[in-house]
Amino acid sequence: MKNRTDAELVELAMLGDRDAFGELVRRYQGAAYAVARGVTGHHEDAEDAVQDAFATALRRLEECRDPKKFAGWLLAIARNTARNVVRRESLRVAEPVPQDVRSSLPGPDAEAELAELRRDLEAALAELPAMQREIVLLYDLEGWKHDEIAERLGVPSGTVRSHLHFARKALRERLSKWQGRETQARDRNDAE
Amino acid sequence: MKDRRGRRPDLSLLDPGRGDPAYWERLRAAVLSAVAFELAARRERPRLSVAGILSGWSKKLIPAALAASVAALATWSQGRGGGEAVPPPPPLALEEVLGPGAEGELSWAAQGAAANAVAFMSFVESEGR
Repeated sequence: MKNRTDAELVELAMLGDRDAFGELVRRYQGAAYAVARGVTGHHEDAEDAVQDAFATALRRLEECRDPKKFAGWLLAIARNTARNVVRRESLRVAEPVPQDVRSSLPGPDAEAELAELRRDLEAALAELPAMQREIVLLYDLEGWKHDEIAERLGVPSGTVRSHLHFARKALRERLSKWQGRETQARDRNDAE
Repeated sequence: MKDRRGRRPDLSLLDPGRGDPAYWERLRAAVLSAVAFELAARRERPRLSVAGILSGWSKKLIPAALAASVAALATWSQGRGGGEAVPPPPPLALEEVLGPGAEGELSWAAQGAAANAVAFMSFVESEGR
């Protein structure tokens, strides 16, 4: 399945092929998470949104008019789903994916420091315009290239570069107090 | 919050797979579990196509039609070849079909008393008087 194109996987998934849909999930769950995280600002909500988005995408697969552009279509669903999740946050019932034991047992100091850094990072992201937030997350968190983001979000590549530049600048300014400390906190956490 | 070049904010802190390599596989499994019913429904869906439905019907209809044809053929050949043919029933008189009370009108009709509707009405009225 890994060698198949998105369009081929979509065609197979339409027929109920579990492996094909599983490959689409594997390819785009990170990007869907990045988009959802940008909208919700919270891990658990983003996770719910990703699950809901894939379920919605499968139900409406016939509405994906150009299967080659499945990724962009999926991200649009993830964005809308994340907005809905934010609205119904208080009624959230889906079970979060259990965290690995290893990640839940850092030392108390390092964990506290990382938690604070994470909160600041989320706050800084929340201050960005939605498009900048989405682009910086897809680029820096998911590792997508400028052109991939441009094609999948349906915006010019120059616009992606511009948004990325301003998003990074804003993040650096907002998180300037962490410069140097962040690396130490992460290293301590990883060591523990 | 900078990368090696001092320009890129490190957002890996937000990656749930960081420090938990199995995270994304668990999420994928959770998604596939959530959509299992839909996938199964899609696998069944081709069987509900027009061709599928016709094919399903033909499995029942063809044997039934075949059995009916054999039975009809057997009955027909029995009637033709074996014993005497059953004579057709005698034709019923019109009076018998219409029942009692119609004799008057029928006798009029039999007599050819009315050549047209006006004559017929005159006849009926005279009978009524």
